[in-house]
Amino acid sequence: MWKEHYRIGSDLVDSQHKELFDRVGSFIKAVQDEGAWEERLEQVQATLEFMKEYVVIHFRDEEALQAEIGYPGLEKHAAIHAAFREEIRAFAQRVEQEGFDEEKVQEFAARVMTWLIMHVGKEDQKIGVFIRSQGGQS
Amino acid sequence: MRVEYINPFYKATIDVFRIMLNLDVQRGQVRAVDELVPVSEANVVIGVTGDLKGSLLYSFPKEMALEMVTIMAGMPMTKLDAFVSSALAEVANIISGNAVTLLSQNSFTCQISPPQVFVGTDGALSMATEQAIVVPLITSIGTFEVSISLHGSPR
Repeated sequence: MWKEHYRIGSDLVDSQHKELFDRVGSFIKAVQDEGAWEERLEQVQATLEFMKEYVVIHFRDEEALQAEIGYPGLEKHAAIHAAFREEIRAFAQRVEQEGFDEEKVQEFAARVMTWLIMHVGKEDQKIGVFIRSQGGQS
Repeated sequence: MRVEYINPFYKATIDVFRIMLNLDVQRGQVRAVDELVPVSEANVVIGVTGDLKGSLLYSFPKEMALEMVTIMAGMPMTKLDAFVSSALAEVANIISGNAVTLLSQNSFTCQISPPQVFVGTDGALSMATEQAIVVPLITSIGTFEVSISLHGSPR
């Protein structure tokens, strides 16, 4: 899922993005694999748990980078992060309470995949443009 | 139904397809119809409210739908299941959201409703009693259609 052109020019953020794409890829694979749902569930649960924690770390680090370089879109970007963090938290809470229904998890996986592609492919690229306009790597 | 409503959808589709799928999009010959009819297997309907009211129908051929999600997920997709349908719904939702943002720059303030997906070509939706314009959008992995039925006036 990861593409080299997603790089924005910050080694930390780029490596975190790559990790996120890799994890979402594993999540989709677990969700879409053949075989009994119960057998794939463990991987699905583990990935969801990881994602819940990792987006907090990644969003925090990426916002710190934006603050450090004086990125003018920080406030708007942080609001987008907050909304998505809440979406993941709400989904995790829902499946904890209601159980891991296969169709619901498939829908969620699709949401996370499209969000990640669009966010890193569009919003985060604006940070890359800003970094380059300031003369290179952070 | 005015032609000026169409361009924002075309522009938004070009942008979203380039970012999400790395694909170019060309516009085919538009035509007017009297109702929203799904021509292909994978369909997403989105309602619009506000200064402009109406419905949008995105109709994707099955093979194209599977290929789109294959590109995004980086792994082969073989059936129109909940994952593939939801991914298509998200793509249609993002295009519509971006198009509505573009329309707002022309003094139309609109909101969109959550996408609804249905698979199959049975029957007309009979959602649009007023005229709709169908825009074929051509890519290297297939052609899909967006039917736009929007009516109203700017503030």
